[in-house]
Amino acid sequence: MNLALKDINYHRFKFFSSVAGVSQLLMVVLAIGGIIRGVIYDSAIIITETGADLWVVEKGTLGPFAELSRMPEDYYHAIEVIPGVVEASPLVMAWEHVVRPPRPTPLMKFMYRNAVLGTKTMVEPGWMDVPMEQRFVVIGSKPGRIGGPPRIIAGRGIEADNYEIVADAKAGFQLGERVRLGYHDYTVVGLTNNMVGLTADPVIYTTLKEAQQILFRPDPDLLRDRRRRFQQQFAQAATIAPRLADGLAYQASTVAEDTHFINAIAVKLEPGTSPDAVAQEIGRWKRLEVYTAPQQVNLQLMGSNRLILLQLSLFRVVLVLIAGIIIGLIIYTFTLDKVKEIAVLKLLGTPGRRIYGMIFQQAILMGVLGTLLGGALELAIEPFFPRRVEATYGDIGQMLVAMTVVAVLASVLAVRRAMKVDAQSVLGT
Amino acid sequence: MEYVVQAEKLVKTYGEGHNRVEVLKGLDLAVRPGELFAIMGPSGSGKTTLLNILGLVIEPTEGRLRLGGEDIYNGKRRDLQRLRRERIGFIFQFANLIPFLTARENVLLPLELIGVRGRQAVQKGMELLDYLEVADRAEHLPEQLSGGERQRVAIARALANEPRVILADEPTASLDSERGLSVMRLLRKLSSERGTAILVVTHDTRMIGEVDRVIRLIDGQVVDEVTESTAPSEQPVIQH
Ligand SMILES: Nc1ncnc2c1ncn2[C@@H]1O[C@H](COP(=O)(O)OP(=O)(O)O)[C@@H](O)[C@H]1O
Ligand SMILES: [Mg+2]
Repeated sequence: MNLALKDINYHRFKFFSSVAGVSQLLMVVLAIGGIIRGVIYDSAIIITETGADLWVVEKGTLGPFAELSRMPEDYYHAIEVIPGVVEASPLVMAWEHVVRPPRPTPLMKFMYRNAVLGTKTMVEPGWMDVPMEQRFVVIGSKPGRIGGPPRIIAGRGIEADNYEIVADAKAGFQLGERVRLGYHDYTVVGLTNNMVGLTADPVIYTTLKEAQQILFRPDPDLLRDRRRRFQQQFAQAATIAPRLADGLAYQASTVAEDTHFINAIAVKLEPGTSPDAVAQEIGRWKRLEVYTAPQQVNLQLMGSNRLILLQLSLFRVVLVLIAGIIIGLIIYTFTLDKVKEIAVLKLLGTPGRRIYGMIFQQAILMGVLGTLLGGALELAIEPFFPRRVEATYGDIGQMLVAMTVVAVLASVLAVRRAMKVDAQSVLGT
Repeated sequence: MEYVVQAEKLVKTYGEGHNRVEVLKGLDLAVRPGELFAIMGPSGSGKTTLLNILGLVIEPTEGRLRLGGEDIYNGKRRDLQRLRRERIGFIFQFANLIPFLTARENVLLPLELIGVRGRQAVQKGMELLDYLEVADRAEHLPEQLSGGERQRVAIARALANEPRVILADEPTASLDSERGLSVMRLLRKLSSERGTAILVVTHDTRMIGEVDRVIRLIDGQVVDEVTESTAPSEQPVIQH
């Protein structure tokens, strides 16, 4: 006869309401774990989905996301011919905003109001206004090369320069929707899922050429003005050599208008090729910096999101400890309520291990049920978070192990109390 | 001569120095199978202390204690817990049933503790509940039973390990006189039918007529009184 289960069955409400409380706490612990994984995935996903072995950026920069990196487009040709390189894909990747009135879901509205309310004492007027611009990461690549949209969940990819984009579903775009980017309207032809930059800004994919236009093309008024200035500069020369001057002015203005830049080159190597050797080879070029894929992720994760990661991890540990303390206190009060029965059990000659086993079993059961229920709750609420939150079954398994240990430690206090219970106290009139 | 319990020159002192209290002062006592004893005495006379010593819950400061012929404190380290669960039955003022176990499970617990399980245990448990006329309450929790029923279940529990001695601490104090008397008659029946020696600590003078012998504890010593009721022992067994 299992005393722990019999007791739980008798004190059903007390036990299961405590389990429910513990599970909600563990749901939060697991959710923070999920938020941490979300930050990690967001920091890495562009790099991991591109599948490049090496990332080539402008010399002396941490680019393309951690720092501005810019180089001429044709650099990739030279890299492509290095032995061991399968593919060198020139990429444009940069932040760009889209003027688009927000169309929040009711949940988003609630979260916004909640945030406004919660920060009332922290902000000054205007700080919490809803911005009319949405920020995106625009990625342009040559169709058919690495760096384009991975895993399209709806619609199709992009085959040619046709003012088409593939956007992330998180941004709230619909297929067929038209979006103003730079000086043109683009049509959404495909949707991806979870493709965001390290700051969780959704990605917009397009072709290399169109991305260059969106990101690097100056304002038309500015261009006109620039062209006029060039012509003035060359006006003097025009009196001496009119034909040469016209040509020079034209040349100069095209240089000024040039958009043939890229931010990074994604390099795929032949299997078995040493990334370090190729990196060294590329590094001989004076104007280039080379990172392996893990280094590139490292720059984004630890370079940009380090402190938030440390903060969340610390918070998670504190919560685990608190969960342990709470389980301990619950089990301790359960034990206090049972002091009389424990004394009777001792008097009847019940071996100590049976009595203390009952306490441990209840604590462990509380930890295990709390974790399972908390895990189920966490998985249920995940989709409602504004940013990616992803706890795994592995996390829940890990939590089961941790909570079992915590429960055992937490019941030490209760067991010590039970040990002090004296059989003598039962007889006494 | 065979005794179930035999105590010689029991001394029990509590505390030390100025706080030292000598509660039992060389107490002698011998109990035969089937005897029903009442232990009486004024408050503070050491009744509980004596019961705790006989029940192997606390150790005497001095003296010898034999249980079924076995010398308990002869220097060898004994597992008192085990001796308790194997040899002694306890009955309390309040039934002290385990509240989260049914009547049946309360009786099965001491059986399980001595390794009797399964069908054999269930059968034995039901027999006992039947013997105490509470078989129809087997699946009830203690809180669903009346005071008298609870005490009967508690008695069934005390009988489960077939002890040769049952120690009862004010078993009738929480019951009205009619129910108290019926519990006392039940104990009487047990001792004569099963040959179990029963020691009852009681304040209730009405119970005197129901027992074989009354021991009075005065000043840490036993004053023996034989009652009018027929005692199975032919002569007093208390040595002064
Ligand atoms: N654990 C203890 N420590 C100190 N003194 C005790 C303890 N238990 C009992 N006593 C003292 O021993 C005396 C006898 O107590 P007890 O055996 O409970 O008597 P009774 O049950 O007859 O009232 C009392 O004076 C009581 O204060
Ligand atoms: Mg007392």
